[in-house]
Amino acid sequence: MSQVDPQVPAPGDALVTHPLLTGRHSDAEYSESLLAYVHAPPTRAWWMLLGVGLTGTALLAVAVGVTLWVGVGAWGNNIPVAWAYGITNFVWWIGIGHAGTLISAILLLFQERWRSSINRFAEAMTLFAVTCAGLFPLLHLGRPWKFYWLIPYPSTLRAWPQFRSPLTWDIAAVGTYLTVSLLFWYLGLIPDLATARDTARTHRARFWYGLASLGWRGSARHWRQWRTGYLLLAGLATPLVVSVHTLVSFDFAVAQLPGWHTTVFPPYFVGGAVFSGFALVLTLLIPARKALGLEQVVTLAHLDNMARVLLVTGWVVAYGYIQEHFFAWFSGNPYEQHVTWAQHVGPYAPLFWLQIFCNVLVPQLFWVARLRTNTAVLWGASLLVNVGMWTERFLIVVSPLSMDFLPSAWAAYRPTWVDWSLLVGTMCFFGTAFLLFLKFVPAVSMSEVKELRREVDESERFREELGGAP
Amino acid sequence: MSHWVLGEFGSDLALVEALRVLRAQGYQRLDAHTPFPVDAVFEALSLGRSRLPLLALVAGLGGAGFAYLTQWFTNAVDFPLDVGGRPLHSAPTSLPIAFELGVLSAALMIFGALMVLFGFPHVTHPVFDAEAFRSASVDGFWASVLVEDAGDGLAHVEKLLRDAGARRVAVVVAEAGT
Repeated sequence: MSQVDPQVPAPGDALVTHPLLTGRHSDAEYSESLLAYVHAPPTRAWWMLLGVGLTGTALLAVAVGVTLWVGVGAWGNNIPVAWAYGITNFVWWIGIGHAGTLISAILLLFQERWRSSINRFAEAMTLFAVTCAGLFPLLHLGRPWKFYWLIPYPSTLRAWPQFRSPLTWDIAAVGTYLTVSLLFWYLGLIPDLATARDTARTHRARFWYGLASLGWRGSARHWRQWRTGYLLLAGLATPLVVSVHTLVSFDFAVAQLPGWHTTVFPPYFVGGAVFSGFALVLTLLIPARKALGLEQVVTLAHLDNMARVLLVTGWVVAYGYIQEHFFAWFSGNPYEQHVTWAQHVGPYAPLFWLQIFCNVLVPQLFWVARLRTNTAVLWGASLLVNVGMWTERFLIVVSPLSMDFLPSAWAAYRPTWVDWSLLVGTMCFFGTAFLLFLKFVPAVSMSEVKELRREVDESERFREELGGAP
Repeated sequence: MSHWVLGEFGSDLALVEALRVLRAQGYQRLDAHTPFPVDAVFEALSLGRSRLPLLALVAGLGGAGFAYLTQWFTNAVDFPLDVGGRPLHSAPTSLPIAFELGVLSAALMIFGALMVLFGFPHVTHPVFDAEAFRSASVDGFWASVLVEDAGDGLAHVEKLLRDAGARRVAVVVAEAGT
């Protein structure tokens, strides 16, 4: 390898060959264009989508109400399938959140510049997804109002939680994840809220953005500490994101059930989480960049990169499937082998093949460069991956439970309308929160885009000095 | 009564140059306000390293230690719970929560310490009295100088800023204690 001065961009600088920002805009123009839809009154399409979202959220409220009134019996859960939709949805939603943390934290540590335009967006997604996820185990407790029994507090019962169970680890993991994601997101948002305050057209907007930005005045002393704090939070979020889905996978892997009791679960779950999360980022980003006119800051280079991540994590997931089959065979355990084999031909076989199609075959499209930047293909593929990953979570939770060691105990599972309403309702709640986010908060980090603009300029200037060598 | 003299520059380079001039003239109580972090400004103001990492480390280790001890005390000492004959205290099962609580404590410390360092929330800082200062979060690069005497000192600093290329200059009254 030749020696390269790290200060000097290489002649084939990615910032120049794959522009992350298209067109030339001044700082003021960036502020104006990225805040245009925040300051403008909402469009008719926004109101209509919000209406749909709120209707679905009302359905969620009804389903939660029925669950609280009737109990978990309102769900399709039975014995042996005691976990079913609740835990499927929990695992799926948590996984979706992971892409946000990956984009904002891990790519920040790797100094990947393409995160700058999409991190805010993905982090907001994380927050809403984790909120939706948390609802399911809470309701599944049966008596959600006693949830605090899971937290060690000196109670008159003189009993403590049992900390050797992964279920208590989950509380710590999900609670920490939600809190750290919120702090990270808000810290990154403060400078942009100040920009919103300073460009506000109405007194009311100025007042509220002024409060939310806490008095940010862009002081160099603040920026210096802010940057250190932001980087530290990213450093903390990185092992956190790996730990959260690892602990979620322990809920299964630590049990002795055939199909669950396997060591490949932690990496397989984390890979799947990033896979599904990136898919949902693409599902939302592609229409949003069009509707909000963000094409100049969320370019085809971003979409191309995300498609590559889908391809790679798709293979991580495929590797998990291969390992599951290998270990079933290698274990010599007839129960383990039966559960694996029954997936291919048993009652859930259509779902298994749907999962293979969506998660293994569809991402292979992205070997082709042209398809990685074709928004229609990318959007369709991302939807299929979302479906595939939900199916995967469902198969992991339900199919081993429905056929354990004792054939006389086997039973199939059927979701009720309450199960469906909770799933659709959380999707609508997520959508509603996302629409509100797009309306009230700048969806692309302005301070980072302005910083990136300087870096791109420098790279281009250096390239010109080199005489435009490719 | 002390005043902040504020000068707006069109670019980060011009701001850095102006800060150098002001420092060379002996002004020490300087600050800069920019729409995004600029390394050259940190250097021009000779800002030291942040102590935040140390605070985060202490908080993280403290949180993790607290979580570990709590699990040991509750499950092995105060209310011994025999689950299938497994040891009452075992390190591997205590580590996940210790890790999570360590991360949580460090993150809360970072955010809390930043708020204390910034003095936030503080939405009525005197610099906001200058209407033109609104550009500091958009495309203006502002230098600010704290001047104690109200007389010739103010005019002198204003002149220095204009000579350094400031396109707008504003003076605001500093509140007590800033």
